[in-house]
Amino acid sequence: MTKRFTVHAAAVVAILMGLVGDGHAQPPSKHLDGARKEGKVVWYTSLVLPSAERVAKLFETAYPDVKVEVHRTGSQRILQRVMQEMQANIKNVDVIHTSDAGHYVFLKEKKLLAKYTPAGVEAFPAGFKDKDGYYYGLRATVNAITYNTKAVPAAEAPKTWKDLLDPRWKGKMVTAHPGYSGVIATHVLALVHLHGWDYFKALAQNKLMIVQSANDPATTVSSGERVVAVNGGDYSAYQLKKKGNPIEIVYPKEGVPLVVSPTAITAFAPHPNAARLFTDFTFTREVQQVMADSEGLYTGHPEVTYPADKPKLSELKLLTVSPEELEKRNEEIKKRFVEFFGA
Amino acid sequence: MDRSIAVWVGAAVALVVLIALPLGWLGWLSVSGEHGTTLAHYRDAFTDPALQKALWNTVVLAFWVGLVSVAIGAPLAWLTARTDVPARGLIRGLVLASFVTPPFLGAFAWVMLAGPNAGILNTLWRSVTGADAPLLNIFTMPGLVFVVSIYTFPYVYIMVANTLALIASDLEEAAAILGAGRLAVARTVTLPMVLPALASGFILAVLQALALFGSPAILALPAGFHTVTTQIWSLFQFPPKVEQAAAFSVPLLVATALLLDIQKRLLGRRGYAAVGGKGGQRRIIALGRWRWPALAACLVVMSGAIFLPYGVLAKGAFSRAWAQPLSRDNLTLANFAFTFFEYGSTRAAIVNTLELAVLTACIGAAMVALLSYVTNRRLVVGHQLVAFLVLAPVVVPGVVLAVGLFIAYTRPPFVLYGTLWILFLAYLTKEMPVGYAQADATFRAIPADLEDAGRVLGAGRLRILKEITAPLAKSGIIAAWCFIFIGVIRELSASILLFTPSTKVMSVVIFDLKEEGQFGAISVLGLVMLGLTFATVALVQAALGRDVLGARR
Amino acid sequence: MPGVILKGLSKRYGDVGAVNDLSLEMKPGELLALLGPSGCGKTTTLRLVAGFLTPEAGEIWVGDRCLSSATAVVPPERRRMAMIFQSYALWPHMTVAQNVAYGLRFKPGIARSDRDARVREMLRVVQLAGYEHRYPGELSGGQQQRVAVARALVVEPEILLLDEPLSNLDANLREEMRFEIRRLHETFGITTLYVTHDQSEAMVISDRIAVLQAGRVAQVGTADDLYHRPRTRFVAEFIGRTNVVDGVATSFDAVAHGALRLHVAPGGLQPGTRVALSIRPHQVQLSAPVEGAEGANTFRGTVRRAAFLGDTIDYEIAIAGSDLVLRAAAAPTPRFEVGAAVVLRVAPGVCVPLGDGD
Repeated sequence: MTKRFTVHAAAVVAILMGLVGDGHAQPPSKHLDGARKEGKVVWYTSLVLPSAERVAKLFETAYPDVKVEVHRTGSQRILQRVMQEMQANIKNVDVIHTSDAGHYVFLKEKKLLAKYTPAGVEAFPAGFKDKDGYYYGLRATVNAITYNTKAVPAAEAPKTWKDLLDPRWKGKMVTAHPGYSGVIATHVLALVHLHGWDYFKALAQNKLMIVQSANDPATTVSSGERVVAVNGGDYSAYQLKKKGNPIEIVYPKEGVPLVVSPTAITAFAPHPNAARLFTDFTFTREVQQVMADSEGLYTGHPEVTYPADKPKLSELKLLTVSPEELEKRNEEIKKRFVEFFGA
Repeated sequence: MDRSIAVWVGAAVALVVLIALPLGWLGWLSVSGEHGTTLAHYRDAFTDPALQKALWNTVVLAFWVGLVSVAIGAPLAWLTARTDVPARGLIRGLVLASFVTPPFLGAFAWVMLAGPNAGILNTLWRSVTGADAPLLNIFTMPGLVFVVSIYTFPYVYIMVANTLALIASDLEEAAAILGAGRLAVARTVTLPMVLPALASGFILAVLQALALFGSPAILALPAGFHTVTTQIWSLFQFPPKVEQAAAFSVPLLVATALLLDIQKRLLGRRGYAAVGGKGGQRRIIALGRWRWPALAACLVVMSGAIFLPYGVLAKGAFSRAWAQPLSRDNLTLANFAFTFFEYGSTRAAIVNTLELAVLTACIGAAMVALLSYVTNRRLVVGHQLVAFLVLAPVVVPGVVLAVGLFIAYTRPPFVLYGTLWILFLAYLTKEMPVGYAQADATFRAIPADLEDAGRVLGAGRLRILKEITAPLAKSGIIAAWCFIFIGVIRELSASILLFTPSTKVMSVVIFDLKEEGQFGAISVLGLVMLGLTFATVALVQAALGRDVLGARR
Repeated sequence: MPGVILKGLSKRYGDVGAVNDLSLEMKPGELLALLGPSGCGKTTTLRLVAGFLTPEAGEIWVGDRCLSSATAVVPPERRRMAMIFQSYALWPHMTVAQNVAYGLRFKPGIARSDRDARVREMLRVVQLAGYEHRYPGELSGGQQQRVAVARALVVEPEILLLDEPLSNLDANLREEMRFEIRRLHETFGITTLYVTHDQSEAMVISDRIAVLQAGRVAQVGTADDLYHRPRTRFVAEFIGRTNVVDGVATSFDAVAHGALRLHVAPGGLQPGTRVALSIRPHQVQLSAPVEGAEGANTFRGTVRRAAFLGDTIDYEIAIAGSDLVLRAAAAPTPRFEVGAAVVLRVAPGVCVPLGDGD
C-alpha cells in the first residue's frame, strides 16, 4: 500500500517537475502555447465522476493555465447531447469519452471526429486503436457480478451469469441500463452472444431494480439496498471495496464482457490545442498508472502495473464485442431491454 | 385607444413567443412526416405497448393521487379551519412547507427512508421485529402515489380551507339549534357545501400528478414502469423520436385543458358559498377529548411530508454513508466539500439557477403587474381575453412545454437551445399564471375609488400610479415576485429536456447526481434548495404581513 | 310555554364587557324585544340564550331548567329553541321543503308522512304554499325570510330567538313583515326574544321592550311605558325623539332653567337638585300669539326652522328670554313660517323627570 502510494506520488511529482522546471521528465508539448491561449478544454466523459474530477485536477495541476470543464453523464446521454447540440449548431465540446465503442463508429461516419493520434499510443494493443486514427481506448473495464458480503456469504454467492437466473435472487438484484451506459450496452450484447436474448427474458423474472449508470449497481449493492448486481463496471466496485465497503467482485468463468472506452477529439472543437494537450496527457504512463491504481481501471498502456488484488486482463476470459456491431444493434439492445424490464 | 394598441401589441408578441410558437410547432411536428401531414406519429405513439402502459400508469397514478390528496387535505383543512385543535398555526405552517417542497426532493428522501433493503425505516423495522421482508417498498405504484400525494394535498387543503372560511357560521348554527349534533351538522350542512371545493381540489391534485416528472423518474423507473412524462423524456434519448414525443404530448395537453375547464365550472357555482344576508361569525367546534388525538394525527401526516424527509436529507448531507447509523465516525463535511468545491457542475448550476430565478421573477413580476393592472382597471378593450391568455400556460404540463420549446427554438431563426434563454422562456411561461393570480388579487383589493379620488383632485395618471397605487400594490407584487422565484428554483420537468451541459440548473444537477447514486451530494444540494425556498417564503410573509396560504386562491 | 330568566349574565370579549351583569325576566308566551344601539350587547345576549356562548358569570333559566351557567352549558341542539338569523341562514343545497323539514328530523316520534304534512301546513301559514321544491337561491329576500320563519316555527320550539331578521329587507317589506311576525306570534304564542336596533320595529312587534345600554338593561317595559315614562336620558333619547331640558328643582313640582320655570306633574322632586326633563315634541302645543296667552308652562318663541314631513311639521323654536330651543311636531295646519312668533305650551304632565342613570 505504502509502496504503491510512493510510486503514485512520484509519478505526480515527476509530471509537476516536468513543467515547473525546464522540462526534465518530458519534452514540453507543442500544443502548450496554443492551449494556454485557448485557456480551457471541454470534456464530455462517462468516466465515473470522482475519477473524472481527479484526472481533471491532475491536468490542471500540470498545466495551470488550462482549465478542464468536466461534464459527466452516461455514455448514451453524452451521444444525445452531442447530437442535440449538432442539430442546434452549437459547438461546445472538445473531447468526447464514452464507454460505447459503437458511438465512435457512428461519429466517425458522420465526420464529427478529428483525426489525432496521442503520443505514445503505438504500443497499445490493437483493441485500443482505431485503424483510421480517429479514436483510441483511454481505459477499459470489465462487467462483473458484485454482491454484498454482509448479506451473502461467499459460499452462496453467484459464480456464473447463469447463476443469476436462480429464483432465490428474486427481488434482491439490481441492473444498470443500456439506454444510459455504454458499459452496460456492451455487457448486454456480449451476453446475448453468449446465451441469447432468452437469458435476459429469464433474468427479468427475478424482478430486478433498475438503475442507470454503470457504477450505480456497485453503490446499490454496497449500501445493502440490493444484495447482488448483475452487471456494472468492475472498477467502481473495486474502488468501493478498497474504501472498506462490504462488497465483493465475481469474475464469471464463462467470460467477462470487456469494455474499452474510447476517446476522441471533435472535428469542430473550439479549443483544438487544449484538446490535444489534454488527450496526450491522459495517455501518458503516469496518468494511465493513476487510473489503474486508484480507479481500478484497466488500460492499454504496456508499462502500467496493476494492483495485486485485482485479476489481470490476461487471467480473465474476455468477451469482446465489435464497435461496428455495437453501433448497428444499439437500438435493438435498448428496445429489447425495455421490453423485458419495463422501463 | 392608442394606449390599448401598445398594450395589445406588447402582450400579443409576448404571448406568441411564449405560448403560441412552441405549441404551434408541437402540433405541427406531431402531424408532419416526410411526405406531408400524417397521423403516423399518433398511430406509432398509441399502438406502442410500452407507451400504452405508460398512459395507463399515469391515469392510475393521477386518480389515486387525487383521492389520497383529498383524504389528507380535507380533514386537515376542516380541523384547522373549524375546530379547536391545538397548534393550528403550526399545522398551517407545516402544510405550507409541504406546499413549497419540490416533490422530487421528497421522492429522493423517501428512497433513503423506504428503499426496501437499505431504507432507514425498513432497517429499523427489521432490527425491531427481526422480520426479513421490508415494511415499506417505496419503489412501487403505491409508494409513488404516497410520495406525490404528500406534496399535492396542499392544493386540496387550500381550496377546502378557503371555502370553509366563506361558509357563514350561522348556516351551521341554524342546524345546531334545530337539534342537529356536531356530526349531523358536518354531514348535512358543511360537507355538501364544501363539495365543489373538494372536487376542485381533487382535480388540481390530479393535474399536478399528471405533469410531474421527477418523482416518477426516481421511483417508477427503478421499479420498471413509466409514466407519460418519463416516457416523453425517454423519447428524447438518442436517436430522438421528437415527432412521437410531440404526438404523445398532445393528449396530455388536451386532458389538462378539459380538467381545468371542469374545475372552473365547479368553482363558478359560487352560489353555494353564502346565500342571502350578511355572513356570520365563525363558531369553533370543540373537539373535547379528541383535541390531542386530532393533533397527533395531523403531526403523523406531516411527519411523512416534512419531518422524516427533511431529517433524512440532513442526515444524508452530513453522513459518509447515508444508510449507516449516525455515529461519530459517520459524520463528515466531505459531502459539502465535494458538492461545492470538487464537483464542477454545482457552482455553475447554482449561479445559473439564481440568475434565471431573479431574471424570471423580475421580468415576470413586472409583466404580470402591468397586465393585471390593465385588466383590473379595464384600460384596454378585450381585457378578459388578455387575462385568459396570461393564465393559459397553466394548461400546459412542463414537459409538454419543453417539447414545444425544444422544437421551436432548435431551428432558425431563433436558435435558443444551448443558452440560458430557452430555460428563461420556459420558466417565464410556466410561472406567469401563478404570478398573475397574485397580482390580480392585489389589484382587486385596491378599490379604483382610491385612484379616482386622486384624479378628481387633479393628479395625473402617472402620479397616481406612483404615489397611490404603487405603495398599496407593493407588497402584493413582491409576493408575486417571490412565487415566481420559488417556482423557478424547483422547476424540473421542463429543465430536464432543455438543459445542456453548460446550462445546468440546480434541479437538473440533483437529478444527475441521482443517476450517479451520489446521495450525499444530493442531500446537500437539496438542503440548499430548501433553504433558498424558505428564505423566500419568509420574505413573502413579511411582505404580505399575513399567511401565504390564505393569500393564494 | 316556559318563561326565561336571565340572572346577572356577564360575557367579556377581551377587555370589553359586552354583557355586564344583565338581568331580565321574560313572561311565558310574551314577545320581548332587546333594543339598543350597536355594541350594546343585545346580540351577545341572544347568543348566550341560544347556547352558542358560555357566560362568564350568571345563569339562564328556561322554565325550571338551568340551561347556562359559568360552569355548564346545555348545547344548542338540546335547548328546544329555534332561531331566525339576520342572514336567514337557509341552506342553499336544500329545497325549501327540506330546509323547513330539517328540525323535524331530530324530533323523535314524527313519521315521515307526518313531517311532510307539517311542512306543507307551515308553508301555507307563511303564505309560501307551492314553493316546496324551490331552492333558496331562487327566492326573493322576503320569501327567504318567510322560509326561515317557517323552519323555526314548524319544530314548535319552547323559545323562539330572532336576530334582527328584518334588517336586510327594504323599507316597505319591513313594515309589512313586522305585522306578519306579530300576527304569527299571536297565533302561536311562543315565548320570543327579538333583537333589533330599530325602535319603531320594537314598538310594533313586541309586548315589552328591554332597552340595553353598555351590556345592561337600562329600562324594561311596554312601549307606552318607555315612551311616556322614560327613566333615563338614554332611554328617553333612544325611544322616539325628545327634548331634554336641564335645570334645577326649585320646589317639589317645579324646575328652573335659567329664567324659565317649568311645572312638573306629578311632583316629587327634591328642591335644589339638578333635574333633567323629557318633553316629547308632539306634546308641545303651538299656537299663534294671542294677547293674554298666559299660564303654566306657556312661553313665547320664534320659529327657527320648519321641516315639512307630510303628516307633521317638525319645528325648532327658540324660546324668548332663554337659550332653550325646543323641537315641536305639529299638525300641518296651522303652518308657521320661519321667523314667525309663536306661543308654546307644555302641559305639566308631559314634563317627565329623568333619573340619574344616564
